[in-house]
Amino acid sequence: MTTEAAHPGDEPQRLLSTTRELAQRVRKQQRATWFPLLVLAALAFASIPVRRYSGHHLDCLAVPGGRVCRAYSDADFVYWPIALVLAYVVIAAFYIRRSRARGIGTRVRPYAIAGIIAVVALTGVALWELHSPSAGQNLMGLAGWPYRLASPGAAIGLALLVLAWAERNRALLLLTLAYIAAVLVPITFGPVGHNPPWYSLPLALQGTVLLLGGIGFALAQRPLRSRAP
Amino acid sequence: MTGHPANGLDDTVHQRVRLGILTIAHEAVRVEFSYLRSNLELTAGNLSQHLGVLESAGLITIEKGYAGKRARTWVTLTKAGQAALAEEITQLKRLISQIERAGTPPQEPS
Repeated sequence: MTTEAAHPGDEPQRLLSTTRELAQRVRKQQRATWFPLLVLAALAFASIPVRRYSGHHLDCLAVPGGRVCRAYSDADFVYWPIALVLAYVVIAAFYIRRSRARGIGTRVRPYAIAGIIAVVALTGVALWELHSPSAGQNLMGLAGWPYRLASPGAAIGLALLVLAWAERNRALLLLTLAYIAAVLVPITFGPVGHNPPWYSLPLALQGTVLLLGGIGFALAQRPLRSRAP
Repeated sequence: MTGHPANGLDDTVHQRVRLGILTIAHEAVRVEFSYLRSNLELTAGNLSQHLGVLESAGLITIEKGYAGKRARTWVTLTKAGQAALAEEITQLKRLISQIERAGTPPQEPS
């Protein structure tokens, strides 16, 4: 125990509000939300030519009123798992380096681990669905969401949820929910053909959400970055 | 805790600077000495004294090392430190609530 003269700031209200302000300031200084968003946006856009020029397949099912098709690329099971694992390693390294430079550690490990687990698990589910005759018979509507959940976009979304929790970042949480909605909402294209031009539209949409989010956070967090030592 | 909430306040934690140290350490995996010094606007000597008090109470651990050629001192919150910080916040809220209740003028019948 120590005995010291009371400081004016020791009044309960002021002490509590100062504590809250300090915690908020530290959280803001720790955030680097723009970096993972821009890295993941780059992966989404880079995957477009990869999917376009790698072997791809179109499985169609006859349904009342037309056909429902599921398009997938050989690159889906090679490019995305490797690219996402590398991305999480790069993001974790970026946060650790930044933490060392600033002198305050950030809880990025749960984000990187969650991201890698999500990639492995969802790739496994996607492979199972690909080889399961019963999977993906009703891809549209609510019944199809488990299939859409087993996608690289959903793996990114789940990891971003963990990042929003780790950074205690409500703005990122809202962006992530919008992004997951974009991933899970079925997109219909009408008649299909071989190697259709709309093949990469969902990826372009997801990449655009991530890019705009990354730019927005970079602008919002710019004053904090420039003030940091 | 029973009685007046002020009786539940721990003198080690219930101090502006030490509460600030615990708050910052709570938000981070670990925090460097220089970060605490600049954010709490303290001299090195003053900060060292407060860190010593917290370390003696088992609320933080202090680790010295090097980042390249630069000497660094890292501060990490212990489980006891987390509990003490949570207890302090709870007691502060109780104290504020009690003060507000005591300060509320009686309502006149309409």
